[in-house]
Amino acid sequence: MAQPGVIHIDETETKDALDTPWNVIVFNDPINLMSYVTLVFQRVFGYPRDKAERLMLEVHNRGRSLVWSGGHERAEHYVHQLHSYQLLSHMEKSS
Amino acid sequence: MNALRVRAVNQKQLCISGIDPLMAVCLQELPQILELRDRVRARLFPSPTTDDAIANREWQESITPELRHLFVSAGEAVARDLTRLKPTPRNANCSSITFPAAHRSAWMSALNQARLILSELFGVDEIDMNVPYHSLGEAKGVAVIKIDLFGTLLHRLVQRELNSRPRNGRKRPKHKRQKRS
Repeated sequence: MAQPGVIHIDETETKDALDTPWNVIVFNDPINLMSYVTLVFQRVFGYPRDKAERLMLEVHNRGRSLVWSGGHERAEHYVHQLHSYQLLSHMEKSS
Repeated sequence: MNALRVRAVNQKQLCISGIDPLMAVCLQELPQILELRDRVRARLFPSPTTDDAIANREWQESITPELRHLFVSAGEAVARDLTRLKPTPRNANCSSITFPAAHRSAWMSALNQARLILSELFGVDEIDMNVPYHSLGEAKGVAVIKIDLFGTLLHRLVQRELNSRPRNGRKRPKHKRQKRS
């Protein structure tokens, strides 16, 4: 209950919250070839072959992998790119 | 299938050779398979988030039509290329096809779309991909054979590009011409 003379302000989204990074997650798919997923990571993110293969194996073995983290607009761009290669992916706010 | 090969004819053209009769038949079916893409919209056009209904709706309205156009264009380019599929002169059991190197991404997209469409339509999962075809029943077994065949060709195209890229992802340094003293 609010006390007289005390003003309560609802929590609003602060700059920190707006700056919270977004994660781009890729999910495993039994159909997409491992070599194809590796190539897509190289094409979309410009990752070197070793990193692309490591992330691909993480998707394959763990079912998902965080492949990129950063600003909202870039995250949206990367999800768009990944969908254009038919990879199952989405973006979520970093916790 | 061991004879299947992707090679550059020149800087502007690629050739797929060693296409056996089964692969040739499946490739001829590729355009019809791609026409079924709207029956598997959830897989080909997924949402970008799990919990933001507004963002997902905006995505479906603005991005999905663009992606669909991209997928359709890739399929049309491959369908046109497939009209050039012809028997190899010295081996009537094999066919080959030459197409613009600029269509390589379209080929990858079309082959991958077809694999995903077939897997969704026939409920193919990871286990199905690892058991003998005949144990799956006729319809699903044939679908898995096509998924495998398209996968073999897609892998050849992918390997060709992976092998042409430097492992560290950086561009190869240009060799400086050394001055002669």
